[in-house]
Amino acid sequence: MTNITLEVNGTTKVLEVEPRRLLADVLRHEFGFSGVHIGCAHGACGCCTVHIDGVPRLSCLTFAVQCEGKAIQTVEGLGGPNAEHALQQAFKSEHGLQCGYCTPGFIMTLAPFVGEMAAQKRMPDEDEIREAMSGNVCRCTGYHGIVAAVRKAIGDQLAEGGK
Amino acid sequence: MVQAENPRHIGARVLRFEDDRLLSGAARYLDDIVRPNMLHLSLVRAQVAHATILGIDSSGLEDIGFPTQVFTAEDLGGLAIKAHQDYPQMQYSEQPVLASGKMRFVGEPVVAVLADDPYKAEDAAELVFVDYDPLPVVGTMDQAQDPSLPTLFDGWKSNVIVEREMKGGDLDKARAEAAHVIRRTYSTQRQAGVPMECRGVVAEYNPSDRVLTVWSSTQFPHIVRTCLSEVLGWPESRLRVIAPDVGGGFGVKGQVYVEEVLVAWLAVKTGRPVKWVEDRREHLMASIHARDHLHVLEAYVSADGRLLGLTADVTVDNGAYSTYPFSSAGEPGMVGKVLPGPYDFQAYHAVYRAVATNKCSIGTYRGVARPSAVFSQERLMDDIAEELGLDPIEFRLKNIIRKFPYKNVLGFSYDEGSYAESLEKMRDLLAADRAEAEASKNSKTRRVGVGIACFIEQTAHGTPDFIRRRVPIETGYIAARVEMEPDGQAIVDLGMQNHGQGLETTMAQVAADALGIEPKDVFVRHGDTLMTPYSVGTWGSRGAALGGGAVHTAATQLADKLRAIAAHLLQAKAEDIVLGGGKASLKTDAGRFVEIRRLARIALRNADQMPEGMVPGLEASFSQDGPADGTYSNAVHAAVVEIDVPTGKMKLRRFVVVEDCGVVLNPMIADGQVRGGVVQGIGSAMLEHFVYDAECQPLTTSFADYLMPQAPEIPSIEVHHIVTPTPLTPLGAKGMGEGGAIGPAAAIANAVSDALDVQVTSTPLNGNAIWKLSAGLRDA
Repeated sequence: MTNITLEVNGTTKVLEVEPRRLLADVLRHEFGFSGVHIGCAHGACGCCTVHIDGVPRLSCLTFAVQCEGKAIQTVEGLGGPNAEHALQQAFKSEHGLQCGYCTPGFIMTLAPFVGEMAAQKRMPDEDEIREAMSGNVCRCTGYHGIVAAVRKAIGDQLAEGGK
Repeated sequence: MVQAENPRHIGARVLRFEDDRLLSGAARYLDDIVRPNMLHLSLVRAQVAHATILGIDSSGLEDIGFPTQVFTAEDLGGLAIKAHQDYPQMQYSEQPVLASGKMRFVGEPVVAVLADDPYKAEDAAELVFVDYDPLPVVGTMDQAQDPSLPTLFDGWKSNVIVEREMKGGDLDKARAEAAHVIRRTYSTQRQAGVPMECRGVVAEYNPSDRVLTVWSSTQFPHIVRTCLSEVLGWPESRLRVIAPDVGGGFGVKGQVYVEEVLVAWLAVKTGRPVKWVEDRREHLMASIHARDHLHVLEAYVSADGRLLGLTADVTVDNGAYSTYPFSSAGEPGMVGKVLPGPYDFQAYHAVYRAVATNKCSIGTYRGVARPSAVFSQERLMDDIAEELGLDPIEFRLKNIIRKFPYKNVLGFSYDEGSYAESLEKMRDLLAADRAEAEASKNSKTRRVGVGIACFIEQTAHGTPDFIRRRVPIETGYIAARVEMEPDGQAIVDLGMQNHGQGLETTMAQVAADALGIEPKDVFVRHGDTLMTPYSVGTWGSRGAALGGGAVHTAATQLADKLRAIAAHLLQAKAEDIVLGGGKASLKTDAGRFVEIRRLARIALRNADQMPEGMVPGLEASFSQDGPADGTYSNAVHAAVVEIDVPTGKMKLRRFVVVEDCGVVLNPMIADGQVRGGVVQGIGSAMLEHFVYDAECQPLTTSFADYLMPQAPEIPSIEVHHIVTPTPLTPLGAKGMGEGGAIGPAAAIANAVSDALDVQVTSTPLNGNAIWKLSAGLRDA
């Protein structure tokens, strides 16, 4: 067993964990953030994506002990209980989700992309948007609504910035 | 068809109520169910495809250092799932809950190992060894029909599980009149629905009320309950099955599995809650697979291009076991039933069979056999058109059914559709692409191809359709109970399960229109047998048509009572009262009204203010069965592909859908269903393939090997609607959940055939296949 300190969605805990224990399991069970979903547990579907120090990472391919001292964010920490992040709202308005299982992974993968495009003040073309989600699998939507949601979230931020 | 009295919400693009919890992380899927003092199950699974079990050695667990419990088939005393089609042509088999005597496919559960932590349960399972003697493997359709190989089950005459036929009309006459006989062999590969959430089960027994509660990631909790009751001999009244949030189903979770029986049995046996969560490798090896068809078709065509008759010989590689509740006969039987399709001909003979092999069992996946049937039917239509020198769309228009209701060659009645109109609309939409494809024929390096698939889908079929099949599902109805609370808010308890279809929104729209309130004031509950009326669950494209019908009819009964109370208070006639905007008002004088919430309070709390003799309460139920032959949706799909001949690389440039599913409850959700289905169909056409080696070892057991569509290779899917309401369901809606997945394999294969001037006969059309198909152009 190893002692580690993790900060998750702003809360810091000291934990004793087995070195083999996956970050995904620690986030789900020790921290209770069940928005972290395991789709394949071999790093191929993106369902379990969280932010480690602000960067999207696969929590099924990360051991919790590798995250000593790092700040982690899950979908619960991104937009709060009302899913207030612009991308979450755009997923709703553009029908970017159906069963919702892959959705937190897509949101955590794409939120930094939306932020980056807004910072660059440009609307990416469709190929670029699709490439940004190429590490995530959605089995329900055919990606159509997700592409539209990314476009809307960026568009809204560009419009706001232009005011 | 009975239209909603005051349709404000049906047909509107209402945003989904379920989205808030799904987006925020507050949803609760199966793995989020945690019970106190819970045990975790890990399964020791068969590592070879066919073997006699000699013994099981768990002595390695003696010094593992933590408590474990081990169970084998012997402990279970013969528990098995029986999924039999009650016809003499079908050979009987059962699937033991844990392999008993023999192992019949790689991944079959053999030993159950319990520990108090999932990591420990896996550690323990690794120390349990199964001793076995290998048996010869039955690995292909040909081997399954080879009498020198052993049968999978003792007492069987051969490995043909079932062989039946369907026929109608005068084939001899069709043959005699035919100027052309076109015979082709087509095949479609083994694949599956692969929801992003794997399966999982939690069970807990409460001795105080003797209720056994089972949480399962399933599409049909009531059917799971009935099967568990029958297998375990447990009263249904004391079985509660809960489907929590379910992360995709697609038919894979429309089966009852041995793990559901096992976990329930273990919870009773151990007296502790038990949890099993499938991992992805288990899912890809040992949930269910789908398709894996071989069709030999022969068409008889007149000199002027009229389809006169068709014969079909259909074989499905069923794998090891018959699945509950649709059985091994379901997949090939569906092909026999649907091959006549949207074309007008009256002579047909199909022979269809399922054969047993040492592979994962075949079950339902969105479209159920129809993607394979339509692939063959629509490839054949293109092949006939080519042989006769006809334009493929004009050839279809020459043979398409135009008069409704139409009685097909097997006696099925088709309600009205827009078959010809859809083809004509698609012809217009494709004009530029077809011209470009024609022009590209001059190129030896870059070819463009356009292909279409024209098809119908029997949806929302009712009990008579299942009686004909004589399989355990037995019926096809959906029930709903609608009640209004004293504050005027409504609850719909729906016998379906919502796992992406948006039922919490569309059913609220339907109830709101009938009750005259807002959709947000309707709480749709589902997925729990304790609170919802018995129904067959969510599958077979029946949500809008039958679920919507049940909610509409029950809510209308409730609305009638509200109108009667309002009439009493306003001293008017009930038929002069209209409900809407939260008010019951006079049709002739909107200024005279009673608030609906006041009516609800009167019915539930101030009964003295009701009309004399009226019974208190506001609750109504309705069970909506489907029409005997179902209601037929229709669609035309089109694919435009571009192939770089020197490299064999194919790009799917455009995909277009023209579809008609009758009245649409929510266009945003309907389009989402179509697009999602199409992209699964694109996966079927181009990527997804379960591969086995000669020993029936599965070679595709991770997402690195089993490839599903990802965003970059998928174009934006264009969807166009034509609306032909059906008179056969209460709201005029036809089923539409599966249709998207049915056409793409055929449309893409026809596009490849067009681009490369070849006859495509099989899927998947992956990179390797396109490389081989384009070899002729490179060599030329």
